[in-house]
Amino acid sequence: MMAKDHTLYKDLTCTHFFHQKSIFLLPKFPNSTMTIHTLLFVSLLIFSFIESSRGGNKDKFFTELQNSLEVTAKPVQDGLVLEAGKDMVTIKWKLKSSAKVDADDTFKKIQVKLCYAPISQVDRPWRKTHNELFKDKTCPHEIVSKSYDKTPQSLDWTVDLDIPTGTYFVRAYGIDGDGQEVAYGQSSDEGRKKNLFSVQAISGGHVSLDIASILFSIFSVVSLLVFFVKEKKKAKLEQRE
Amino acid sequence: MEVEGKGGEAGTTTTATRRFALPVDAENKSTTFRLFSVAKPHMRAFHLSWFQFFCCFVSTFAAPPLLPIIRENLNLTATDIGNAGIASVSGSVFARIVMGTACDLFGPRLASAALTLSTAPAVYFTAGIKSPIGFIMVRFFAGFSLATFVSTQFWMSSMFSGPVVGSANGIAAGWGNLGGGATQLIMPIVFSLIRRMGATKFTAWRIAFFIPGLFQTLSAFAVLLFGQDLPDGDYWAMHKSGEREKDDVGKVISNGISNYRGWITALAYGYCFGVELTIDNIIAEYFFDRFHLNLQTAGIIAASFGLANFFARPGGGIFSDLMARRFGMRGRLWAWWIVQTLGGVLCAFLGQIHSLTWSIVVMLIFSVFVQAACGLTFGVVPFISRRSLGVISGMTGAGGNVGAVLTQLIFFKGSTYSRETGITLMGIMSIACSLPICFIYFPQWGGMFCGPSSKKVTEEDYYLAEWSSKEKAKNLHLASQKFAETSVSERGRASTHPQT
Repeated sequence: MMAKDHTLYKDLTCTHFFHQKSIFLLPKFPNSTMTIHTLLFVSLLIFSFIESSRGGNKDKFFTELQNSLEVTAKPVQDGLVLEAGKDMVTIKWKLKSSAKVDADDTFKKIQVKLCYAPISQVDRPWRKTHNELFKDKTCPHEIVSKSYDKTPQSLDWTVDLDIPTGTYFVRAYGIDGDGQEVAYGQSSDEGRKKNLFSVQAISGGHVSLDIASILFSIFSVVSLLVFFVKEKKKAKLEQRE
Repeated sequence: MEVEGKGGEAGTTTTATRRFALPVDAENKSTTFRLFSVAKPHMRAFHLSWFQFFCCFVSTFAAPPLLPIIRENLNLTATDIGNAGIASVSGSVFARIVMGTACDLFGPRLASAALTLSTAPAVYFTAGIKSPIGFIMVRFFAGFSLATFVSTQFWMSSMFSGPVVGSANGIAAGWGNLGGGATQLIMPIVFSLIRRMGATKFTAWRIAFFIPGLFQTLSAFAVLLFGQDLPDGDYWAMHKSGEREKDDVGKVISNGISNYRGWITALAYGYCFGVELTIDNIIAEYFFDRFHLNLQTAGIIAASFGLANFFARPGGGIFSDLMARRFGMRGRLWAWWIVQTLGGVLCAFLGQIHSLTWSIVVMLIFSVFVQAACGLTFGVVPFISRRSLGVISGMTGAGGNVGAVLTQLIFFKGSTYSRETGITLMGIMSIACSLPICFIYFPQWGGMFCGPSSKKVTEEDYYLAEWSSKEKAKNLHLASQKFAETSVSERGRASTHPQT
């Protein structure tokens, strides 16, 4: 019995899979695996340092921002559900007349974004609203980002192809020279319940894909049947011998 | 890499008409394991088997790394995603139980290839789904393919003899499970390649699914064309010619399910393998959402969890064998309980960590422990029953999936718990469900806290108790007798039994 065990481990040692000396430690792993794993680990650390060193603006809260911009967003064709990739929205923004005259002096850029209405955030934690701007996921889709112009602006925007089905409003952020948001305005009210519009996403499917699926599936099942029949015939032949 | 081992009782290898590349025992099962050989039929079976299982894992978990795109295309809610995750692992609960019998009837080659080819359509049809229901259905049917685990273990046990079967099983299972990690890398890369060729996001992910589907189909072809059920030939031919003896299926099943140890291993496996399956389903989305990473980066991190299977699960099996040499079965049980509990502790930690770097570090260590625990489980399972080995293996394997279903149902469905809380609670539940390991007791070897029975029960007593005296009169118990003799090694070096 012992001789057999000895054989097993000696054989595995010869195949460089297992070092016999490390009997009372966790097994040592072959050098190439160690290298690969070390490389993977190191690259992960590098990635994570890159990612985590990005956010310097973690501390800004939405409630700190001035609501000094006036934004309107109206579908070009009223009353319908907008189709992604086809229909257009007219977006206008300017400084509110009620705001101080020089309130927009600090703005260097304006960033206009498409945002989810609360109804599209239900049971979808990846779209949750957070007060910390860094964590906030309400407005993931950028419409336009350009240098700030003090005159009232207008844009006819075609809904992007990758916008999901949902209900939306538009928000614009005024951004200062440090890249920090300082003010905002949105096309909806504070509770984000009015002036919303709906988008219907593209399906992404194509007839050619469906046909390919059907063909490959038939091929799989038919070849299985062919193999089964061949096996049965072989078994019958061997039985006769 | 060809190395000559010392070989088994038969020395080299010839029976009247056959010559094997590897040394074999009296049943023509190989007594050595040569990783880099594809010699027919033993090593070839090993490579075909693990690769097919790997492809099934890739297909089953192809959706999670692309979920950030799929959830927007199909307008999924967190509840839908949770349901799909549960569906993906629940189908194979039933399939794993049935697979053991299917292997018995048709042979592992046909049984596994049949399953793989009949679930491939589910993967292809993923390209055409338009709604949450469609998503749940394709994940459900694709998940059946995970039952190829049972055929892998069955096939390895038919091809490899006692001293190496643990390693063969452990490596085959580990390298198959690797697919759950590899897919987290493969799918985002395939997706971005297709996007670069000009497809929109919502079309690119659909096209990407043809890759795992094709691999699954091709791996099944390879098994059918190049594989062989047994060292001596294929099943059907041998069955019909009467070379294989048959046992009463009803008795085998009732003997298996009445053994309480099988239920404990099923529960415990549910909280190591089940945890692994759950993490495969949720970890990419977790890193994507919590740490604001892009799809590729989240995929790489998620992949490193599953990729640890390359060495962690086989390592667990080898560690179990090591402990058995010194401490016998009691050593196997202690090692299993400690490693699995530590895995649970690390899992609970993982959910509490706010920093990305530390999350990755803890996840990597956690992955090694949880996958080693899977390997350690199947260090104990072969000894629970000899007559009903298939049933016990099937129960344990199915238990793994049940654990995944339960965990996702309780902690990861909808928005009741945040993902991080869910992960912590899963860790705690894992610790709790590993405690029953302490209750596994073999009268001939002992358990974790008790030595062998004072009544001096032998291995023969234990294994032959599975047969009635009528069956023994018909000599049906001879294989169990042989097994009892070889299992004396589970007493360990410091044996308290007098030498008989």
